[in-house]
Amino acid sequence: MSCCGCCSAFRPRYKRLVDNIFPANPEDGLVKSNMDKLMWYAMTSPDKLDRIGDYLAHRLYRDINRRKTGYVIISMDALDQLLVSCHANNLNLFVESFLQMVQKLLESTEPKLQLRATQSFEKFANIREDTPSYHRRYDFLVSKFSSMCYASEDEEVMRKQLRTAGIKGLQGVVRKTDWDNLGENIWLPTHMEKIVPSLLYNMQGNKAYVHGTTQISDTQDNHQNEGEKEPHELAEMCLRELVSRATYGKIHNVIKPLLIHLDYEGLWVNNSFAVQVFKIVMYSIQAQYSITVIELLMAHLNEKSSEPAQIRTGIADVLSKVIPIAAGECIGPSVIEIINSLLEHIRSSVVGGVSGKESSAEKMYQETLIHALGEYANHLPDYQKIDSMVFILNKVPGSDRVDDGGSQRPEAEVKLQHLLLKSLLKVGTKYTTVQYSTTFAQSFLVRLMRLSVSSDAEVRLTVQQILHTLIDRHQNIEKLAKPTLEVSRLGLTMSKPVRQDVNFWKKSGNEIMLSLQENCEFSNNRLVNIEAIYATLMLLMAEIRSDDVMVDILRVLFHVQGVAQNGTVSGPQGVQLQALVASVMVVISHLVPTLKDHVAAVIKKRSDEAPHLLPEIMASYESGLPCRDLPEDLLFDHSKVLDLLANTNLDEKRLNTSMASMMRRHSTTQHTSSATDINSISVEVDSACSSPGLPRRTLEEEITFESLKKVLTESPEQRRKAEEERRKQITEAFMTESFEALVAKIQAKFSVQ
Amino acid sequence: MEDYKFLFKVVLIGNAGVGKTCLVRRFTQGLFPPGQGATIGVDFMIKTVEIDGEKIKLQIWDTAGQERFRSITQSYYRSAHALILVYDISSQPTFDCLPDWLREIEQYASCKVLRVLVGNKTDREDRELPTHVGEEFAHRHNMYFIETSAKEADNVEKLFIEIAKELTQLVRSGHFDKDSKVGDLSPQDVSNVTLPPTREPRSEFACCSRWISSSTT
Repeated sequence: MSCCGCCSAFRPRYKRLVDNIFPANPEDGLVKSNMDKLMWYAMTSPDKLDRIGDYLAHRLYRDINRRKTGYVIISMDALDQLLVSCHANNLNLFVESFLQMVQKLLESTEPKLQLRATQSFEKFANIREDTPSYHRRYDFLVSKFSSMCYASEDEEVMRKQLRTAGIKGLQGVVRKTDWDNLGENIWLPTHMEKIVPSLLYNMQGNKAYVHGTTQISDTQDNHQNEGEKEPHELAEMCLRELVSRATYGKIHNVIKPLLIHLDYEGLWVNNSFAVQVFKIVMYSIQAQYSITVIELLMAHLNEKSSEPAQIRTGIADVLSKVIPIAAGECIGPSVIEIINSLLEHIRSSVVGGVSGKESSAEKMYQETLIHALGEYANHLPDYQKIDSMVFILNKVPGSDRVDDGGSQRPEAEVKLQHLLLKSLLKVGTKYTTVQYSTTFAQSFLVRLMRLSVSSDAEVRLTVQQILHTLIDRHQNIEKLAKPTLEVSRLGLTMSKPVRQDVNFWKKSGNEIMLSLQENCEFSNNRLVNIEAIYATLMLLMAEIRSDDVMVDILRVLFHVQGVAQNGTVSGPQGVQLQALVASVMVVISHLVPTLKDHVAAVIKKRSDEAPHLLPEIMASYESGLPCRDLPEDLLFDHSKVLDLLANTNLDEKRLNTSMASMMRRHSTTQHTSSATDINSISVEVDSACSSPGLPRRTLEEEITFESLKKVLTESPEQRRKAEEERRKQITEAFMTESFEALVAKIQAKFSVQ
Repeated sequence: MEDYKFLFKVVLIGNAGVGKTCLVRRFTQGLFPPGQGATIGVDFMIKTVEIDGEKIKLQIWDTAGQERFRSITQSYYRSAHALILVYDISSQPTFDCLPDWLREIEQYASCKVLRVLVGNKTDREDRELPTHVGEEFAHRHNMYFIETSAKEADNVEKLFIEIAKELTQLVRSGHFDKDSKVGDLSPQDVSNVTLPPTREPRSEFACCSRWISSSTT
């Protein structure tokens, strides 16, 4: 510097100004007055900015190589001041040298210089430039800042400072590049794959996430002391900012590295951190994209299908915890898509796990998935819950055809049926019924009823439980766990009689009653099945206040009593049925006072002579207790009840209409009572015509222009196919629909022609 | 102004404890730190070397070998010009993992990356892998091969200088389509360069004997 004096006269002015800001002794810091001169010069002649930058950079390189750290810091100070005071318009000229200087400092092994560089960069990142910088590249900065996030210095303070600097640097890059869309695309995988793991790495060690005690969603609180923020807090803030900036096409690039990071770090099994991270993501992301995150999480679960069940359970659990956050944003097909893929996961778990012995871990995985489904459904609007239930039911194996009982079904299918019905139950419990006609759409009810008479006792039980949750509008179900004679103690809340309910019953009551009646006749019924049937009958009575319901239930009760009496069902089931009849009879007698005396008499008689025929119902009974061919006075008398009802406004004739059994496997054998009287048909015609579930397409027999055209244009192959299809439909219709419905259909057809 | 002709990114990978960090330290700082702890994440070093009178700047990214850091380390393969795959000649398991590492390279690195296999720790008495085994492996997978000792500073300088030479030549011959000239904040990302659909037969790569013959063991 000694020759500076003599040659300075020949140096360009900007060089002289720059030289002058450096004191003789670096300890003294920037020469303030000269710095002001330099700034004034830079502001008045912005065209010189690039040269100033160039020259400063040149000096900086020299000082770094000579290890004159003091001067390096002074250069950076000067640089900062120039950056801040210069108008953003002119900044572009200057930025190149600035960034080179930052890079140079970051390349040094000296932590102090790295920190200083980050500091300057942070300031720079907060300046909004108007001119896009097409050629500016942040590749090195992202790499280096990420590397700093993993700083492992022995000394704790330095380690923390470096990591903090790394995080802030990354935040700066994100801000800078996202503001000007024309510059480098920070959302490229090559950058995100560095940024996201670096942030997570700084968050994951913190206890706050492990114990899940952080308050999600309060970021604004302590902004003032940002300087003292812990690295994990900073990293979280940065992650939030990143996610909130992500637009649709970019989400994938953020979430993918996040998932991979959790994979490698093994953070799924004890997943509290994963849950926290995803909650952060879900609360930060622009709401309309939250569903994409769920989809990515699902896709990840797909990829992990061969991983141990614990890992999959972890992922599914995260899913179940964040899915509610997204549920509000779901609309249209995405709802079904999510449900579909959850069901798919359940299915593949069942199919994959069934060959070997299924581990409890696998079971847990399935439970978690069902839980996730329930959580999801819980947050859907009600109308979508119905759609979801219909969709799930359609997926249940066996809902589309009649259970053939005898044949051996594959184990996987049985398991799947159980699980999917459980899923349906889960969704059902989240749904609040208002109108039965909306809840039980015809197609839904038909499939559900088909499953309700499955030969599998567990399936039957689950279907009853689904019915309970869907029928019960007044929280009565808990009171109905055990059949009892003490009706007044139940404290049931009765619904008010409304027209809609009555109409619903007219339309679908028969279907439900048939299923219940048949349910009683299974010899593999366990106590829980009987109790469930009891609860269903009681709920129907409490909810649908129609005289018809009462009579229909009486009719079923007499049928069931008959079945037990003539020994079709025997053993403990026979006793259980008798007791079931008694417990429901008591309730009816409360509602229909004319029956009171008769019912009371039978009950009295039973309690004296055969107390086992009354509740409480046991799982097993001493063998030899009579339940069939009982003496008349222990039974409820059909004709007597008929007489008694004649004096009321109940339609006692209904009691006589017998129901065709829906049990398909009996359909080949003789029907127990095929004598359908005219009365019943006329009732059913109405029902069949108004039910949309019944295919009412007219057969293609009529000759129209269309049909002629078809004959000409259709290839024989196609026609054969179509015909086959039709034949199948007809066969199916005859196999699955109730006799009355078929009669009605034919009548309807005739009346049309 | 900083003057260098080319800037290359070199990434070191390989199992934990094979001596990646020591190689880098030896080369950049001339040190052999005994009792080096496991690398966390990714470390960064820079060194400028002179090839034919021209300055070549090497950005060296030293990755953690532990699998748990794979999420971050993988992201650095992408932009590498050269990948140094290190194993420990006194440890069969580190050699057995090489195919896995190659799979990683295939998956994450640019297909134009220069790949070098390094058998480190030749100073060790308990050698488990004879030189020819490594050599054959390198030959089979079209890689350069060299044995080094970071402790004895054996072949370390040579390893990096050869890489710098080779990369310079490759750039000159247009291998990395766009060249990595100074002036940019950082050199062109290899992965950004549009790659030809098929892998060109790289005649100069097929030969790995040039390095082997001069390795002193």
